[in-house]
Amino acid sequence: MALRFEVLGRFNHARAAQLTLPHFVCQTPLFMPVGTQGTIKGLTTNQLEEIGCQIILGNTYHLALRPTSELIDELGGLHKFMNWPRALLTDSGGFQMVSLLHLADITEKGVTFQSPVDGKQMLLTPEESIQIQNRIGADIIMALDDVVKTTITGPRIEEAMYRTLRWMDRCIAAHKRPHEQNLFGIVQGGLDPVLRDICVRGLVDRNLPGYAIGGLAGGEDKDSFWRVVAQCTAALPEDKPRYVMGVGYPLDVVVCSALGADMYDCVYPTRTARFGTALVPEGVLKLKQRAMAEDTRPIDPTCACMVCKNYTRAYIHSLVAKDAMGSQLLSYHNLYYMMQLSRNLHSSMVQGRFPEFVCSFLQKMFPKGDVPEWVCNAMEVAGIDISLCCAPFPSTQD
Amino acid sequence: MSSSNSIHSSAMKFAVKAWSNGRARAGVLHLDCCPTPIDTPSLLLSTRKGLPLFISPDLLPSLPSPDSHLLHVSPLHFLEGLSMTTISKIGGLHQMLGLHEYGFAAVPRDSIQCLPEANSTNKVGASFETPCGRLLIKPAEYMEMISSLRPELWATLADEVPAWVSDKRNKTSVDRTIKWLDECIALSPTGGAVFGAIVGGSSLEERQRCAQEVARRNVSGYWVGGFGLGETMDERPALLNAVTVSNLTHIFWQK
Repeated sequence: MALRFEVLGRFNHARAAQLTLPHFVCQTPLFMPVGTQGTIKGLTTNQLEEIGCQIILGNTYHLALRPTSELIDELGGLHKFMNWPRALLTDSGGFQMVSLLHLADITEKGVTFQSPVDGKQMLLTPEESIQIQNRIGADIIMALDDVVKTTITGPRIEEAMYRTLRWMDRCIAAHKRPHEQNLFGIVQGGLDPVLRDICVRGLVDRNLPGYAIGGLAGGEDKDSFWRVVAQCTAALPEDKPRYVMGVGYPLDVVVCSALGADMYDCVYPTRTARFGTALVPEGVLKLKQRAMAEDTRPIDPTCACMVCKNYTRAYIHSLVAKDAMGSQLLSYHNLYYMMQLSRNLHSSMVQGRFPEFVCSFLQKMFPKGDVPEWVCNAMEVAGIDISLCCAPFPSTQD
Repeated sequence: MSSSNSIHSSAMKFAVKAWSNGRARAGVLHLDCCPTPIDTPSLLLSTRKGLPLFISPDLLPSLPSPDSHLLHVSPLHFLEGLSMTTISKIGGLHQMLGLHEYGFAAVPRDSIQCLPEANSTNKVGASFETPCGRLLIKPAEYMEMISSLRPELWATLADEVPAWVSDKRNKTSVDRTIKWLDECIALSPTGGAVFGAIVGGSSLEERQRCAQEVARRNVSGYWVGGFGLGETMDERPALLNAVTVSNLTHIFWQK
């Protein structure tokens, strides 16, 4: 165990905490930008520090291909390689393998696939994944899990869940640096509450430093999504961090935080920036639209970031999809937005005004009161009264 | 040898600090907007739509100052997606780019993507090949852009021709450039320093003729264009030499 987790404020399931990692003391809830190849596209590490980024995610699969984990190890680890003084998290490599490689095949041994470099048959085992992650040196490393899409049904989900538990033991055995790197387990089980429960209990028995909720953010309906998160957070230990993998829409982050999750990662903010979309309190702003060409307001008048303080929508519009600077500036704003959201979640819980924050957030995003039903249901379970920001149901009108 | 060693305009002051044994001289450029003076000779940072490529504005201070406070801007970049009315509404380059302590030098050609297209240039305007197609820019249109953008210094519109054109075409380019110089000066906004454009291709005589004509006008400096269009490296020093006349105290040239 190489972390400390201390809850500082609560509202029902939701909690604000201090997460002390080897390289940085973090405040949760927090969002982690994804730095696929040892870099966040469009931003320097200085800028990331300035906007308040605490943990960055690195992709083991991509780093193992280029420049290889051995080289990173030789050069002193990923922190030094990418000049990032704060915390790092690496995933196991399993997800990319399954999502990027059509010819990946999962067996008890591990994930067999065709190398994209030379077409050779390769095998990623739990042991190999942990070894690679040991070399990369991140503060948090992820177990290799058997991931299945939640849209799949049938016995495959059960098989994957039990295999995940078996692979967890192999990961624990292979982990050579437990005092410097925290190995998190990943809860699988699809949308089946029984399977999820078995998986949670199995992982909790292994007394890990932290737990992730995996297998979501892959096309399942929102109602199923929040229910799985709620079930898992209710069953996972209070005194350890909970990481919902692949969650990045601001609304999803707020709902999951209300349900008791602490950490999130997603490519969404940076990827959508490269397509010209900015994150704003009202939802999204598509800078490519013709109407933006004459709009001399900032992207978000309430945002304090360098982009919103200096640039008009009209200028950014002239850059997006044509000049790299457009992607850079929008990525900067979008990440700043997510960092600010994280800070607001943390401070509102510490200051005892979390429900007010949630209401205010929903009011800005749904000014007509048309909060989606899944959000209302989730907030009910979270014990947060959002009736003030929901319009009355149509049947009670006229 | 020379008359004044310094030049004033409302936004710019230039003075020569030291002369070498030859023609080279060290100078200092004061721009109202820049907190520290800029030593010359000085290299301008190239930009795309006003911002340096890949270096976002918050990272600019990490470059050595004051050497990186002069930015080259091509007004043609803004023809894609941003109207001059909107730029005026925002308040010009400084406001639009959030770069208040940087000086902007506007020249239409950027030597990367906006290149003079001599075959299509005619008596009405200068033609450029740009990412949004071939554009014909008339002096009046160009001055509208300058008035909206409000750079610290700007070059007048020129007819730049490659080294291999006929003598007749080369001579025409000088005639046109002088004509457009006068039209631009007549339309110049207050506040910016005018740099008269000097062309003449690979002809020493035409270069000299153009320089002499421009020197007669009331300009704050000189922009020497038409280089990097087919002349050899060997030819260049002589051509540049032909241009520097005794009362030229500020030159900036572009490859």
